[in-house]
Amino acid sequence: MTSTYIEKEQSIWRLCLVSTAAITLLGIIIWKILDLQVINNEILQEQGNRRTVRNDVINAHRGNIVDRNGQALAISTPVLSLWLNPREMLPNQQAWERLSVALVDIEVNTDVLWNRMQANAGKEFLYIKRRLAPTEAQIILDLAIPGVYSQEEYKRFYPLHEVAAHVIGITNSDDVGQEGLELAYEDWLQGSPGSKQVLKDRRGGVISEVKINEVAQPGKDLVLSIDSRLQFLAYRALKEEVTRRYAAAGTAIILGVKSGEVLAMVSQPSYNPNNRINLTDEAMRNRAIVDLLEPGSTVKPFTVTAALESGLFDTQSIIDTNPGYIQVDGQTKKDPVNYKEVNLEKIITKSSQVGAIKLGLAMGEVPMLDVLSRVGFGTAIGSGFPGEASGVLPNHSRWSKSDIATLAYGYGFQVTPLQLAQAYMVYANEGLLKPVSLLKTENAVVGERIIDQELARTVNSMLETVVSKELGGTGVRAAISSYQVVGKTGTAWYYNVGGGYDTENYNSYFAGFVPAHNPEIVAVVTIHEPKGEEYGGGQVAAPVFKKIAAGAMRILNVPPDNEAHTHDQISMQYTLPELNQPGIRGEL
Amino acid sequence: MQAVKQQLRQEQTYYGDNWLIILTLLLLCFGLIMMTSASVEIGASLYSDPFYHFKKQLVFIFLGLVGAGIILSIPLYWWEKSSYGLYFLALLMLTLVLIPGVGYTAGGGTRWINLGFMTLQVSEPTKICLVFFMAALLSRHHDFICSSIKGFVVPFLLLMPPVVLLLLEPDFGAVVVIMFAVMAMLFLAGARFWHFLLAALLVCGAGAALIFTSGYRMRRVTSYLQALKDPFHEDIVFDSGYQLAQALIGFGRGEWFGMGLGNSIQKMYFLPDGHTDFIIAIVAEELGVIGVLALLGLFVAFIIRALLIARRNERNRKFFSAYAAYGLAFIFLGQVIINVSVNIGLLPNKGLTLPFVSSGGSSLLTCMAMVALLIKIDIENWSGDQRKPTETV
Repeated sequence: MTSTYIEKEQSIWRLCLVSTAAITLLGIIIWKILDLQVINNEILQEQGNRRTVRNDVINAHRGNIVDRNGQALAISTPVLSLWLNPREMLPNQQAWERLSVALVDIEVNTDVLWNRMQANAGKEFLYIKRRLAPTEAQIILDLAIPGVYSQEEYKRFYPLHEVAAHVIGITNSDDVGQEGLELAYEDWLQGSPGSKQVLKDRRGGVISEVKINEVAQPGKDLVLSIDSRLQFLAYRALKEEVTRRYAAAGTAIILGVKSGEVLAMVSQPSYNPNNRINLTDEAMRNRAIVDLLEPGSTVKPFTVTAALESGLFDTQSIIDTNPGYIQVDGQTKKDPVNYKEVNLEKIITKSSQVGAIKLGLAMGEVPMLDVLSRVGFGTAIGSGFPGEASGVLPNHSRWSKSDIATLAYGYGFQVTPLQLAQAYMVYANEGLLKPVSLLKTENAVVGERIIDQELARTVNSMLETVVSKELGGTGVRAAISSYQVVGKTGTAWYYNVGGGYDTENYNSYFAGFVPAHNPEIVAVVTIHEPKGEEYGGGQVAAPVFKKIAAGAMRILNVPPDNEAHTHDQISMQYTLPELNQPGIRGEL
Repeated sequence: MQAVKQQLRQEQTYYGDNWLIILTLLLLCFGLIMMTSASVEIGASLYSDPFYHFKKQLVFIFLGLVGAGIILSIPLYWWEKSSYGLYFLALLMLTLVLIPGVGYTAGGGTRWINLGFMTLQVSEPTKICLVFFMAALLSRHHDFICSSIKGFVVPFLLLMPPVVLLLLEPDFGAVVVIMFAVMAMLFLAGARFWHFLLAALLVCGAGAALIFTSGYRMRRVTSYLQALKDPFHEDIVFDSGYQLAQALIGFGRGEWFGMGLGNSIQKMYFLPDGHTDFIIAIVAEELGVIGVLALLGLFVAFIIRALLIARRNERNRKFFSAYAAYGLAFIFLGQVIINVSVNIGLLPNKGLTLPFVSSGGSSLLTCMAMVALLIKIDIENWSGDQRKPTETV
């Protein structure tokens, strides 16, 4: 051993020193860990929440739309929308392959989806397919493919399909009202969506739900005045006729006389609101409220009313329509045949142009405009329906004879079919004007008297003759057995927007109510541009009215009022086993 | 009495330090559970199998046990004898990995060689090679190294080639751990104190020089300094500081008792290295302070047992074994301290695994081999059948 020899075995102090250094380091580490985990952890947790806590929407259930009897017209059914997270799916080739196989079943084009996924590679949300039936979507969700998720949504379903499409309207792809009452009552129907707090991973996948921030408030149900049975009836009758006549369009309206409620309102052409493909403005227009038509001969009861009110005429007055035509300001207006000397009733029965013109010229425009505006023409109904038209009454600075004559037989101003129906409801209510409602009204509606009751009754009795075969009325095709129909035909040239009348095309109308005494319904049928030999209101629109009126009487169980025919039906009843034969039960 | 005890010792079969074995098994179990929990999401997403990493880790544990068996059957004398062989093996591996086509690049470093059944991170076995090489050097040339400045410089000169090769990969983390262990070995072997201080100063100076000469390292350091002040500063949080910020969030969420095993949110793709280098953040998030301290406690106990084995060898004047055991213990200690420090933002990110816990075959096999070596050292010390190494030069 030399002096330079260093003992290899070291005393314990070196190890102790090193250990002390290590323990010091360890102490610093533990202090730092405690600092991070329990002392100053709020800022870290806050930073963490910023990256993970998200608020997701809970879709609210949209209110149902039901008819007056509670039958569903528009319902929201829960559906599942499948979506994927491109950031999660793209790196996972195997998951994509499994998904592609599964997607064949729900008819999703995988090539298109792949391209969309590539284009949205940085995003966290991409719809695979929206609004699948829950059972269909569940098959794919059960595969538990990473990156595939579902979202609960509601799909609007319209059980009546095209039958009530115009009134109800439709919602858009986000369940927001787009047309019709769906749009008009959007605030009422739409609930307020809720929100929930969720934890999401970095790729946007939901890890867990933390809490519900706000419960989704479902929308409220909307009860319409529509009666599905009548709606069906009117739709079928109208569509049949429009198809048979190759007509361009048509509308039919049924109003409840006592309440002013719209029991049915249909238009042709229509569309299926459950299938949004091939929607056209033409098909989606609710013509009964939105379209304006010249009322033509259907205004004659109002002309006669004005004539009676003016005191210049009474039921006994004789108007000479010889020689069956009349010259007004150089224009010739004529009747189909020469009706010679007629009373007011016959002007209505035969729909005499000459007679109406003579009445008009005798009293001037003021009484006629007065009656027309009182029954609601030129004023919006106030149904709240989007796009409702109000029409205008003529307001010439100087009325020529021709202007006055035109007004007397229903040209020179425009009304909606619904306005026409409301105006006829005034006669059905013997002079009371009642507001029209698309919603079910709870309380009895008190009308406003605008025509003297006796006078209204007189006009009604004149209108009864329109359907009389014996008297040769223009609307005999509207007559139904057991019930006395009251109404008026109308045929108007089609007025081109560019100006002038199209003498080839016509609008055919029938407006009326039934039964004559204590009426239940008012109905208006308009058919636009029927093709073929027959085009008059009495030929084209009256048969539709007949079907609607007869069916409505049956459905609404209205007691028959026509004695002669009632007898037939009661004798028939013995041969029929069903005691509740519609239309008879009330009598028994 | 003493003689009887000695007699008994030689008759009984000794299987190595019980505590070390138990602690190793505990660490392996803890690691396996946490590694599995941290990797299920990544596994499910990348390999469509949540237990992909679990299965892989199980296979490596099995391979590790086989490797340990082989190591236990090799007498320590062989390691001492082939110390230069080990040194050149390390140089060979470190050179091979740099050859294009052989080395495999990932995550900003060329650190792996594909062996077919696994990719080997060469810095891992290099640690063992260099520790044993240094132990042999120190035990053979103890007086020369510990008495003169010339001698003291020799180990550093010999370490230069492998360190340079490691820096070329680059694998700065392995360099730091190896230097840490070698310095500790020199100090415990009795290097002169002022030599030692000088060397420490020089090593730090060299480190600083490396940092300032490379823009890449410089950016890492500025980002680290920024992160020390505000880990969520927008300059770094979406870039180099991203993983650290996410790791810190994991710690913050854990509080005392954690969010519960399996309930980590950070492992949901927020912390991409949550099952490897940043696993302690997931442990902190799921098991809280309690879990982290328990894990650190296991490591501390494990390292203390390793140091005691080394000390026992030193007392028995088995210096090669003693220095090797010190070296292995300090590799573990360095790796744990650096890994945890990186996770909590005390040190810049180095890319170091947490022994036994992090997912990764090379790291696990190396750690198990190191434990086997410690046990072998202990067994030979106990039974005294080690052939006498040359004590003097």
